[in-house]
Amino acid sequence: MRITRDVVVGIVLLLLCGTFTIATLDMETPSFGQMPPALWPRIILAPLTVLSLVFLIRALVNPTDTGPDRGGPMGWFRYYQTPIVCFSLFFVFLVTMPYLGMLIGGVLFVFVMLCFLGGWSLRQIGLHAAVSIVLVGAMWSIFTFALGVILPRGEIFTYY
Amino acid sequence: MIDTILAAGSELATIKIFAFMMLGTFAGLMAGAIPGFTIAMAVVLVLPFTFGMTAIEGLATMMAVYVGGLSGGLMSGILTGIPGTPSSVATTFDGFPLAKQGKAGLALGVGVWASFFGGTIGAVVLMLVAPQLALIGLEFHPWDFFSLVLFALTVTASLASENVIKGLIAGLVGLLIATIGVDDIMGYPRFNFGTEPLKQGFSFLPVLVGLFAFSRLLGDVRDPENAHKSLGGEGAEAVRIEHRKAAVAVLTRWGNLLRSSLLGVFVGVLPAAGSTISNILAYDQAKKASKTPEEFGTGNLDGIVAPEAANNATAGGALIVMMALGVPGDIVTAVMLGALLIHDVIPSPSFISDEPVLSYAIFLSFFVANFMMLGLQSITLRGFVKITRIRMYMLTAVILFYCSLGVFALNNVEFDIWTLFWFGVLGFVMRSLGFPIVPIILGAVLGGIAETSLAQSLAISDDLTPFFTRPWSLFFILLGFMSIIFPTYQKHRGTARWPLFFVPIFSIILAVPVFMMGGVVRPVVAVLMVLLAVGLLIRNLRHRPDKSVLIRGSADDI
Repeated sequence: MRITRDVVVGIVLLLLCGTFTIATLDMETPSFGQMPPALWPRIILAPLTVLSLVFLIRALVNPTDTGPDRGGPMGWFRYYQTPIVCFSLFFVFLVTMPYLGMLIGGVLFVFVMLCFLGGWSLRQIGLHAAVSIVLVGAMWSIFTFALGVILPRGEIFTYY
Repeated sequence: MIDTILAAGSELATIKIFAFMMLGTFAGLMAGAIPGFTIAMAVVLVLPFTFGMTAIEGLATMMAVYVGGLSGGLMSGILTGIPGTPSSVATTFDGFPLAKQGKAGLALGVGVWASFFGGTIGAVVLMLVAPQLALIGLEFHPWDFFSLVLFALTVTASLASENVIKGLIAGLVGLLIATIGVDDIMGYPRFNFGTEPLKQGFSFLPVLVGLFAFSRLLGDVRDPENAHKSLGGEGAEAVRIEHRKAAVAVLTRWGNLLRSSLLGVFVGVLPAAGSTISNILAYDQAKKASKTPEEFGTGNLDGIVAPEAANNATAGGALIVMMALGVPGDIVTAVMLGALLIHDVIPSPSFISDEPVLSYAIFLSFFVANFMMLGLQSITLRGFVKITRIRMYMLTAVILFYCSLGVFALNNVEFDIWTLFWFGVLGFVMRSLGFPIVPIILGAVLGGIAETSLAQSLAISDDLTPFFTRPWSLFFILLGFMSIIFPTYQKHRGTARWPLFFVPIFSIILAVPVFMMGGVVRPVVAVLMVLLAVGLLIRNLRHRPDKSVLIRGSADDI
């Protein structure tokens, strides 16, 4: 038996189904004759479990879709390096948003991402800084002043 | 109807709405022109700007973006050979060769005018057919709506992926996502796993932007070399569109124009089949109908008219079903439905009769947007040429930020940006694993409708037999069943014997619920379906395919 990509996906799907099915047991049941809140999720989970099982069995019996060979974990990381870093940058942007706010955090996020994707030469840093300040600033201004949206200001602005 | 159209027209005919629509069309054209930037993404990005508008203003703007996006794809397709959107893939087959022959102005003109006429025909059909379909929709009971949603999901799941199981799993995951949070029926929290923010569930927009736009943008820059490339290649140059010559060329090809437009409308009505399919189908039909099919691919004007007329007309077809039944058939109409819901417009069979002025204002805005698209193409062409010089990574970084800004503006809560992030990760992982995204999104959109319909039907009666005894419900269940088998049928067609009998036998089975619908017309249609199916069955039995082909096919399958 080979542990292929699809086998892992099948197991994860079954675990997901199990977790959600167990969670339906904790749902409240209405005391009067209405559809219980757990019924619809269970109706979804039943075929999802069956299909996940079929998916897993097919992956075990006929491991055709093993996924492209990326050359081990490091090869896999190198292949997906750009999206992983971009997701991480976005994650940091979200974590720091309560402190930096949408404007400062947004400018920093766009600037760092532009430099990561486009390069760190002096000319590029200047260009990326200008792009991030102008485009983030312009959109922030439209939302704040024209559309009246109160965007996260950031705690650093509360200390004068 | 004329009174309603006039009333809707007067609601729409304000300078403010026209200005918004012009901006929307412009934004749609620019977005459509950028390769890799889909219409759905354009609609999603413009949506937050409409939050502060009235329903008519906001919806007219969204319609304008939709129409602009559909037409924008032809610019890059013709000038660079890289279609701006999948809706314009077939346009490049003849548009790009014609541009290379030094007739880019004519090619663009023909594309623009074909888009305009296709869109106009689609708009007229929309205004005529949507109210009629809504009347049929009024016959639907909760059982029928539930089965209709199931059918929409199964057909999307089976057509969106080569692997039906992956498509179905994706659709069910979408339905499951829709169950997280407080249930609409009883108000009890579900799947919050002890966390407070999950009690409210996920807003539709962050889920959609995360799954679709966020994951796609990061997929586009995965390859660093690709990220550094210009958006539309290096070869785009602004040219003067030859409007007069092009309009005459399109009108002299009125047969192709009409056929492609109607084909586009028909494809739009079908769930899961959007302009991505219609433009290629129309091109194929135009080639088959042509007296000079060998000229297709070398710069034949018919090869530009057909896909461009079809893709714009498809929008009309897709809007018919969405407005009349409240069920989106593809990703763009799913986004449009989200836009309507945000503006407190809930499409349903009774919506057109309950809110006729608003409904017709939406239809009219689709119609008017086609005229705006025609006028703005020349201006956006110059802008498009400038935009093609931008590097992909720059657009990605800035749009990721705009996405977060847009979803925050929906409810003013940071949790929505977190939702965007996590669903972006989920969408990226699922794309990488070969799971289609469209069924997940449709599942997330339609999950609420399905659950409400199920709850209503169970509130009426505990009996489940109406799902199989009510004609419309049975009709949709059978169609859903067929859609699951359809990929297997396509795979074995021409190589095995059973597909020869699939269509006729299925037509006979499908005739049963049509006959059960009663009245005069529908039983007659059912009888005709049976007669045609029997004729097809006899013909297939007489003309058996070559055995060697079947055996070879079976061997290939093994």
